[in-house]
Order: sequence, then C-alpha cells, then structure tokens
Amino acid sequence: MNTFQEKTNLTRRQFLRGSGVLAATAILGGILAKFGFNVQARSQEYIAQRANGLYSLDERMTLRKSHENPEILQIYKEFLSPGGVTPLSEKAHHLLHTKYGDEIPELIAELKQHSHQAA
Amino acid sequence: MRAVEIIEITDNCKSCDHCSSICPTGAITGKLGQKHDINHQKCINCGQCLINCPFNAIQDLNQINKVKQALDDSQKYVVVQTAPAVRVALGEEFGLAPGTSVKGKMFAALRKLGFDQVYDTEFTADLTIMEEGTELIERILRQKGPLPQFTSCCPAWIKYAEDRYPKILPYISSAKSPQQMFGAVAKTYAAQKLNVKPADMYSVSVMPCTAKKYECDRPEMIASGYQDVDVVITTRELAQMIKTAGIDFLNLAEEEADRLIGSSTGAATIFGATGGVMEAALRTAYELLSGETLGKVDFHTVRGLKPVREATVNIPIKELGQTVPVNVGIVTGLKHVDSVIVDVLAGRSKYHFIEVMNCPGGCVNGGGQPIRHD
Repeated sequence: MNTFQEKTNLTRRQFLRGSGVLAATAILGGILAKFGFNVQARSQEYIAQRANGLYSLDERMTLRKSHENPEILQIYKEFLSPGGVTPLSEKAHHLLHTKYGDEIPELIAELKQHSHQAA
Repeated sequence: MRAVEIIEITDNCKSCDHCSSICPTGAITGKLGQKHDINHQKCINCGQCLINCPFNAIQDLNQINKVKQALDDSQKYVVVQTAPAVRVALGEEFGLAPGTSVKGKMFAALRKLGFDQVYDTEFTADLTIMEEGTELIERILRQKGPLPQFTSCCPAWIKYAEDRYPKILPYISSAKSPQQMFGAVAKTYAAQKLNVKPADMYSVSVMPCTAKKYECDRPEMIASGYQDVDVVITTRELAQMIKTAGIDFLNLAEEEADRLIGSSTGAATIFGATGGVMEAALRTAYELLSGETLGKVDFHTVRGLKPVREATVNIPIKELGQTVPVNVGIVTGLKHVDSVIVDVLAGRSKYHFIEVMNCPGGCVNGGGQPIRHD
C-alpha cells in the first residue's frame, strides 16, 4: 500500500520535472558516450600508426636480434666481461642492475662506497 | 616512493573531470566544477592526464633551459640519447602523419643543436635484452629468483609497484631501464673511450615519457659515480628546441647515430610499442636456449593494442633436451595490471614472463609525445 500511496503523492509538476531530468541525462549521456567513444577510436588509430612506424623500421633493419649487435658484443668483450660475452657479470650487475623499494637505501650506500674506493 | 612534482594542473583547468577518469592511480583530487590538483605521493608521473586534457591545462616540468645551459657551457661534453618512440612521433610536430619515421633527420637536428655525441637509447635497449633475457633464463633453468619475471623498463609501472605492491618487487627484473643503462655506460665506458672526464660529461635523454624525468632523478641512479642521466626532455620539448633554433627540420639530410654506443637492431626499435620488449626478449631467448637460428623473427601473437594479451612459445631447450612451453603475458594500461598481480601473489599465474607498460599502446602513446586532439 505504501508504494501505491507514494505514487499518488507525486504531483503532475514533480512528474514533469523528474522526467525532464531523466530525459536530459539520457541525451547528455548519449552524446558523451558517442563523443568519448570517438575520441578513443581516433587515439587508437594514431597509436597504431606510430607502432606500425616502429615495426616497419624493424623490418628494414639488417640485424633484428639484440645478441647480434656488434657494439653490444664489443662492450661485453672490452668492458663488462673482459674477454667474453657474459651478461650478469659483476660489472654488469654494478652498472646495469638496480633494486627497488625498501632495498634502495642499502644500494645507495653500496654505490657511494664503490665510487669512494674508485676515487 | 618520493613525491616529485613532474606533472602540474594549471589554473586553466575547466574542472571537467576527464583527467580523473584517466588517472591510473586516483591521484587527481577536485570535484566536478572545482579546479583539480595532483597528489604527488600517489602520482606515477605518466602524463596520461596531460596528453588527454581537452583544454591543454596540464603541464610537465620543462627542462629545456637546463639543456641549453649545458650546450652553452664550453666545459661540458654533452651526449644525447633518444628513445625508439620519439622517432615515429617527432615528425607530427612538423606536420607529418603519425608513424612517419624521422630517425635520420632527428640525428641531424641533434648535431645542429650542438650535442657533442649523438647516441641512441636503442643501443641500451639491446643491452637490456642481454641482461634481462639472461636473468629470465637463469630464473627458468636454475631457479635464481621467482617466476614470473616482470619487465622493468617502465618507470611509472615501477613506482606503481613500489607504492602499492611491495610483495611483487622480487618478481620484477633487476635490470635497469634502457635510459638508465645508457646513463651508466656513457659516463664510464664511453667516457674512457672518448677520453672525457665523467665529471665533465653531461647526459641528456629525449623520451616519449614524463615519468623518465622522475626516473633519472632517483637517488640510486648514480652507478657511474655521478648522476647517470642528468636531464630528460620529452619529444615535445625537442620539437620546441628545434623550432626555436630555426632549424629547417623537414629539409635536413638524414644522418646516423654516432658509433660506440649508438648502433642497434630491430629488436631494440620495437621497444616503443606494447609487446615489443617481449618480442625482442623472445627473439634472443629462443636462440640462446635452443642453439637454433630463428627462421622468422616476427612474433605476431604478442603484437596488438588489446590491454591484456598472452601467448605460448614452444622453445626446444638444448640444456634440458626437451621442448618447454613458455607462457608470456603483456599488459598495457595499468588499470589492467591489478588482477594479474593478484594471481601472481596467490600462486595462480601460469606465466613465465610478463611485460607491463603504463601507457595504453606502450611508449608510442607516452605522456611526453605530441598532443593530438584529432
């Protein structure tokens, strides 16, 4: 009976105002959804174009695998792991690897100690 | 992690709330109708709000003056690196279509701007594959660290993991990003070879990314004994420098990067697209693990723009004498990473290796790229 009473309590003016707000929301929602969708679709398009730019550069390269880069082999042989190509060497760890979160203060102390000894 | 003010909302804010809906960490405060602000503790500096603001009301920390000062200082030996994604978007600032490669013109323009050595982040992208790929192999074959291994190239993703999921940190590759590897080898290896004192070397980085400005300033990025990368500018800032210098960019003859730490392979180039780090790692891991040469180097299954993708690559591992299915996952857009992390922490993940990039589409759509409202 409660429900029925509430319905009868709704005046004509309230009903019109309510449906007006509903209609406006629906129309605005529709416009926004359409606009939003188009913006996304267009950004997908230029993102894909830029990515395709990279893939076609890749296809045109003579060398397409990292371990075949002659300067990479050179930096290992001459500097990071003298005499050979050994990733994760001590020097590689020092220069090319890091730590995260709570372990950072300790890493900073190690690095400062290292440069102090080198100096 | 530290709060650094890289991204700011200016008074031009029209209070439309679009940025809040894009922000992957809920760092933007302000109700609809109020000027918005950024909580820098929560912000991961990705700049997605900036490139998507309909009113251009969001800015990043401008570093052009620092670069100009270094170039004008005769005591300083200034080296520069440029990320892969810059070369396929810089042309847009000069009226070219998205995706047009201006690689050769970009190197020429950097020489005209006065850099002493024009190098390439792609060199250290190849170096990243060597280190991160070997680390993955060690984790798979010799249990040296937990699986899956996550990629570590994206500084927005790293800050997100540090802020929200400290338990996931041991799963993230310890390899530095290509930008920071470059900084560390420039002031050591290259400085030695060039006979330049590392203290006199100034290292500039051109990135499609605003979070790289945060990364270069991290206090632990001092492996060379100095700040490894001194300053980062975006693709937009490089375009502005080229225009201000009056360089006729479109008519420049193509040039190449300097040798020593400037040459690269196609595997490094694709780092700028989502799935690219994964594909580059697969090309190397497959050959190193199998002892065989890949006929086709393209792994089309990891490409695309879908926010979460996965693939299985069967690798005949020589050392084990058997073929092992290696499961890989790719996430682009941090809004999609939480469920992947939850699965890993619950021990439910089937993956061996997961690439995570904050920006939808990868670095080509980074917060430092040309802004398009088309």
